Amino acid sequence: MIFSTLEHILTHISFSVVSIVISTHLITLLVNEILGFHDLSKNGMIISFFCITGLLITRWILSGHLPFSDLYESFIFLSWGFSIFHIVFCFKKHKNDLSAIIAPSVIFTQGFATLGVLTEIHQSAILVPALQSHWLMMHVSMMIFGYAALLCGSLLSVGILVITFGEVIQILGKRNNLYFLIESFSFVEIQYMNRNERNNVFQKTFFSSSRNYYRSQFIQQLDRWSYRIISLGFLFLTIGILSGAVWANEAWGSYWNWDPKETWAFITWTIFAIYLHTRKNTKFESVNSSIAASPGFLIIWICYLGINLLGIGLHSYGSFTSN
Amino acid sequence: MKTLSPLNSSNPCLLKTHFLKVPIFNPIFKFKPLPHNTHHARIAKVPSFTMNSKLKSSQDINNTGKKSVSQKIVLSETSPPPLAVDKDGINGGSGSESVPVSSKKKGGVSGLAKKLSKKVLQILSNLSLAIGEMFTIAALMALGTVIEQGEAPDFYFKNYPEDHPVLGFFTWRWVLTLGFDHMFTSPVFIGMLALLGASLMACTYTTQIPLVKVSRRWAFLHSAEAIRKQEFSDTLTRASIEDVGTLLMGAGYEVFLKGPCLYAFQGLAGRLAPIGVHISLLLIMVGGTLSAAGSFKGSVTVPQGLNFVVGDVLGPTGFLSTPTEAFNTEIHVNRFYMDYFESGEVSQFHTDLSLLDMDGKEVMRKTISVNDPLRYGGITIYQTDWSISALQILKDNEGPYNLAMAPLQINGDKKLFGTFLPVGDINSPDVKGISMLARDLQSIVLYDKEGKFAGVRRPNSKLPINIDGSEIVILDAIGSSGLDLKTDPGVPTVYAGFGALMLTTCISYLSHSQIWAIQDGTSVIIGGKTNRAKMEFPEEMNRLLDKVPEIVESSSSQQVDTITSG
Repeated sequence: MIFSTLEHILTHISFSVVSIVISTHLITLLVNEILGFHDLSKNGMIISFFCITGLLITRWILSGHLPFSDLYESFIFLSWGFSIFHIVFCFKKHKNDLSAIIAPSVIFTQGFATLGVLTEIHQSAILVPALQSHWLMMHVSMMIFGYAALLCGSLLSVGILVITFGEVIQILGKRNNLYFLIESFSFVEIQYMNRNERNNVFQKTFFSSSRNYYRSQFIQQLDRWSYRIISLGFLFLTIGILSGAVWANEAWGSYWNWDPKETWAFITWTIFAIYLHTRKNTKFESVNSSIAASPGFLIIWICYLGINLLGIGLHSYGSFTSN
Repeated sequence: MKTLSPLNSSNPCLLKTHFLKVPIFNPIFKFKPLPHNTHHARIAKVPSFTMNSKLKSSQDINNTGKKSVSQKIVLSETSPPPLAVDKDGINGGSGSESVPVSSKKKGGVSGLAKKLSKKVLQILSNLSLAIGEMFTIAALMALGTVIEQGEAPDFYFKNYPEDHPVLGFFTWRWVLTLGFDHMFTSPVFIGMLALLGASLMACTYTTQIPLVKVSRRWAFLHSAEAIRKQEFSDTLTRASIEDVGTLLMGAGYEVFLKGPCLYAFQGLAGRLAPIGVHISLLLIMVGGTLSAAGSFKGSVTVPQGLNFVVGDVLGPTGFLSTPTEAFNTEIHVNRFYMDYFESGEVSQFHTDLSLLDMDGKEVMRKTISVNDPLRYGGITIYQTDWSISALQILKDNEGPYNLAMAPLQINGDKKLFGTFLPVGDINSPDVKGISMLARDLQSIVLYDKEGKFAGVRRPNSKLPINIDGSEIVILDAIGSSGLDLKTDPGVPTVYAGFGALMLTTCISYLSHSQIWAIQDGTSVIIGGKTNRAKMEFPEEMNRLLDKVPEIVESSSSQQVDTITSG
């Protein structure tokens, strides 16, 4: 009994804390930058991380099995994954550029899980025989970490596209030919020089528009972070898919059944493999690869949520209609 | 997506901002990456136009296809290394001379077939083609999940009719001729997979394997200019290069020091691991093909107490399937039972199996359950399903009668079985009787001939129940076990591929960092680059360089001082 109340309390605390964090980010963005907020948001995310961890552990103790058996639990795990990545970013890079993307992801996934459609599945359910296996732990956790990382990465890519095309549209809007050429020249070129070259160029050129410079710096940063986190997510996804295949072989005798969920996981894997390969081909790696990674966002949601909604195939445990 | 073509970029005024088309760059900026590689350090001082033409000439002679050349070259991590391979191994300067000689020799000796295979190899190892293939496969798979698979043609006639086609053109003709109703075994799909496999093989052979040789090659950079042009570079006044070397060693780099020059690297495995990834993918494809063409599959539902012969149940899946001696084994289901949760739901089901060989001798006995199969002689038996086959009852102390149970409702693991014991005149058209329903082997629910609920009995309680004048005792509920049998020769290969893929993907996350340094008087000029962790590298380097002790002439002890970056 105490565990379920504890669970409720933790859910509500983490939800509220993350809402506060997002509000502070919004205020910073829209209104004014208040210095105390930076620390507040960082601490807020850490608190919510601990809350979600506590939540998962209580569910684990309550039900006797790892919290993976249905959609609600995997959603909580997904928001946990997001908050882990956020904490890692916080500590590695002492600026919080990316929390604007990750924090809302945490809250939306958790919010969706807690409110709305999944209310009747809040009670921990028993594990059906097919799920009673040690592979459950590895397969599901790897897949969800993979989804979390890839979602972050593809959101960053979408961000790059938004900023880049914003610039392009702005540049194209200027009708003056010479200015157009020079602006586009400087904007495009700047990204692909290293730091020293950049300094040299700016000493020489008179149109050193610093806005352009910072924006391209920002895009480069986003691009590199996106690459790194998508590589990590790809790694997790690979391990998740392969452990799922081995598990399927142990349970049902066949490691690949072209089940809709398996197929869509493979499609996700393929799309991100395309992303990794586009980065090798051309020097326009940031834009082209962002174009490759952006559909990934939709595809992951189809893979994770869409298939379960339809309730078909071997993965129907997580469907809304199954219970 | 085309790569940079050096000679298109002669006119900087033709800049376009369409990022999807060929970017036109000022040639001066194109060669930024080149000075990083060792040989070109000396060539870096050569004006760019000369460099340009040198490169183009050697490329042209060396390869027959122009377009695929530039793409072939940039297939590696950065553009320079394959150029080094093409040119030569030792001196950048003399490279372009040796190459035409060797390629001329090749042209002279080999016949048309060899040239053709080279051309095919180049086309196959084109990265854009590979990306296109991957994309097509993904699209086909998505289509395969949207279109219902494996239905009778009638289904497609109804759902994709010709008079108002889906999306305006998609009728059943498309579905059936292209084989989209069995997408994952259709020739289109398998053909694309085969093409991707061929591209994988070609790419591994032409690009990845030379990469092994290239990435292990390195040289010192002798000029401070070249070092300053790296992605990350810094100058430490009043430091010694040996201290830098020691610190780098402590940080896990492999350091080489010769005179005033230093070279250090870390994470070379991360550059070589993608080769392993491609090879393991090929292994998985081979294993999958073997599985598809050479395995046996079958499933059977066996009531408790009965047996079957393996060979009767298994059927081949492809042309490579050959039966083995183990197919003569007879399998006897000794007992089938289920475990339940407290809430009454099924938690696990088990079957106690005995394997008997042709002489009737028991060779193996095991209780299997879901996630715990039985393996014998290459055959694996999985517990996948269950049902109730019969109820054994006593009626008015006569019997025992076996009443076969039929499935009434199946919803995953929630099933409903029922049977019927006729009462009165069996031959009359609307015969009435006692109905018995069961959700599992635990309890049977009985209804009388009006359909009214009569009672619940557990089979092992042997408690009689009186319905409509008859006394019924339920002796036993006999379950039957749903077993899937399989032999799969491709599994070891596929598992090896899986393991290798997991491992090599992990390793390829590492970033290959290279650092060069030169001692110039009392200051050290240090520069470096990395291929993956571009964000963390400058920070890591700064932290490292902060630890380098500053050499102060006046005091005898060395002070550790923070040196900020330039």
